[in-house]
Amino acid sequence: MSKDTYALPETRSWREIPQQVRPRAMSMEGRRRMAMGVMRAVIGTAVIVGVSWGAWEVAAVLRDKTDAMPDAAKSDRVRSLVLATDGVLDRNWLAKTLSIAPDATLMGLDLNQLRAKVLADEQVSTASIVRNFPDTLTVRISERSPVARMMAQAPGGAPKMLLVARDGIAFAGVGFDPAMVETLPWLDGITLSRTPRGLEPIEGMRLVSDLLASAKLEAENLYRNWQVISLAHLATDGEIEVHTRDGMKIIFGTKEDYLRQIARLDLLVDESNDPTRPLREVNLALGAQVPVAYGTAAPTLNASPAASGLDAHSAAPQIAFPSISTPHIDVHREL
Amino acid sequence: MSSNTTFIGAVEIGTSKITVLIGEFTGREIVIIGCGECSSRGVIKGSVVDYRAATECTHNALEIAERDANERIDYVYLAQTGGHLEGFYNEASLNVKAADNMIEMDDIRTVCDLAKAKELPLGRMVVHNIRRPFRVDGRLVPTSPENLVGQRLEVGYWTVHGQEQRLADNIHVIRGFNLEVRELVLSSLASGHMVTSMEERQNGVLAIDIGAGTTDYVLYRNGAPHTTGVVAVGGGHFTNDISIGLRLTECQAEKLKLRFGRAQVQARDKGEKVWLDGNYSIGDRQFPRHAIESITAARARELLEVVRKKLGQGFAPESCAGGVVLTGGGAKLPGIAECAANVFGTSARLGEAPSWVNENLRDPGYHTALGILYYGVSVQSDRSAAARRKGGFLRNVTRLFAST
Repeated sequence: MSKDTYALPETRSWREIPQQVRPRAMSMEGRRRMAMGVMRAVIGTAVIVGVSWGAWEVAAVLRDKTDAMPDAAKSDRVRSLVLATDGVLDRNWLAKTLSIAPDATLMGLDLNQLRAKVLADEQVSTASIVRNFPDTLTVRISERSPVARMMAQAPGGAPKMLLVARDGIAFAGVGFDPAMVETLPWLDGITLSRTPRGLEPIEGMRLVSDLLASAKLEAENLYRNWQVISLAHLATDGEIEVHTRDGMKIIFGTKEDYLRQIARLDLLVDESNDPTRPLREVNLALGAQVPVAYGTAAPTLNASPAASGLDAHSAAPQIAFPSISTPHIDVHREL
Repeated sequence: MSSNTTFIGAVEIGTSKITVLIGEFTGREIVIIGCGECSSRGVIKGSVVDYRAATECTHNALEIAERDANERIDYVYLAQTGGHLEGFYNEASLNVKAADNMIEMDDIRTVCDLAKAKELPLGRMVVHNIRRPFRVDGRLVPTSPENLVGQRLEVGYWTVHGQEQRLADNIHVIRGFNLEVRELVLSSLASGHMVTSMEERQNGVLAIDIGAGTTDYVLYRNGAPHTTGVVAVGGGHFTNDISIGLRLTECQAEKLKLRFGRAQVQARDKGEKVWLDGNYSIGDRQFPRHAIESITAARARELLEVVRKKLGQGFAPESCAGGVVLTGGGAKLPGIAECAANVFGTSARLGEAPSWVNENLRDPGYHTALGILYYGVSVQSDRSAAARRKGGFLRNVTRLFAST
């Protein structure tokens, strides 16, 4: 027996009563609720439409306009290396240092590793590397400026000249003008020690650098004559010894203003321009009282008053000058 | 709060007051979280006669309840009462289709449709179809007879129907608050569900809810509602009779009824007098206590006799072991239980809410609203479960093959 075989009478249920009422038959709260409901529906619809439209747009871009995609999304081969520096290093040095494989892609590079390679050269003090899409790698570095030079010898190796920056870091000094390097004084009386990353910074270079900078700026005629800077008594006595090309020894104190000491030296040099009594030693580390030693003849290397044949009065005081034809470097020290 | 939590409002638009309860329904349990109450205006005998006044009061009660719960109601279960509600019984039977006489779901559905199909007079609409237990070859089956073996399947429905306009008015009052009426629940079923236990309903019990304008009753047998009805007489008529009999205003009569009214005459001294106000104010008067008690007792007895008469043959003390349970505001009249016991010839008691109901909601005035909530949820759950069963994929496929 099936329901279709019967013609059942229609019975109406209360559910057939339409529940809609006109807004004017509603109370204020009812109208407010209705408005809120409509607003929620509108906002919900707008959100759904907005999200759908956004998704559609993204899908369309991904599907049809691959050329409109941002370049950053592509991973291209590195075609160009750009170096921005405040020093003398050039692009060849950069290429050699980074040694990037020819087929390396820009996104495939490990920038941290490349930066470590750049910073491994002590001449570079800071470095930053950025990818410039689609195919350019830009390296920005700041370089150390040399204030002095020194000779160092690795065990079993030949002596090698190193440049020393203001912060005491010694570096090979690639790309500097040889004429400029020739003007730099040699360092003496220093102790070098090796670390896993290279040489330890030289102690006291900041004081030396200040002295050299003051001399170069205020009395360049004197500075040009400075050949060796000895730091042998810097740590113990606070004194910097300067040996000039003409055999004079000048002692600077680190406690007093360098400018004042240079001015005194300049005055002394000007005052004692007697070629028969050349200045042999000037001690500027004692303040206003400046002991001065005169020689009797033109300085000779490893000269001593006794050897020159002068009497004691004319050769006084008895001072033994170090050899300055070549800077004294402790080449026996292991680096 | 989980996403499937709903906030259900139970609304009773009564003659004297409008009650709203808000329940938080999680799908497993319902917790009452808000209550709102407001004096009723524009409602007489459960029917809306002044739309604006009734709307104002109802919306006020809804707002109070929402403020109390601090939540917004999602939809509403609405109590339905009034003299326009009527009921009739209709039954149908059918021979079981299968050759092995095993009853299938199709048989059950067909017999139910037949039993419910009864043409109503113009302007009448079904409010409830209350199914009575199935019978298989005369054997009572309280649950589903599916897979039982028998030749003849019978079922009967007690159909409650009401006047379309009055039902629509009640719904539109709620709709004016922009809330959907999800379920209409007969007041008698709601309050009866609250004040009777499952065991009482199984043994037979009569629940009478005496409101201000109407009295709703439901007779349970075999665990299911057997007969329901509404008498358009309530506690308000007691007040009205005192007012006429003692020549008082409604307000004064209500006061006397609440203080001295009884469902059985207790005063022996006919000369005993009681003060109207009792505060020595100017105009305070004395009235005979015996007269007050006589009026209320006569009215109470008359009301209960009307109920008994409307139940007719359906009610028999021997088939109503649970007795009579009285609830509603009118049940607070002293002696009403004894009066009911006399009229119905069986035990009678005042209904009490289950122990888990909050102390604030244990007053008989809240029983209907509470019942709406719990009865409505159970009805809706049954309907959802039936819909799920009906819509099962495998079941549909099976039916397709069966029909071919």
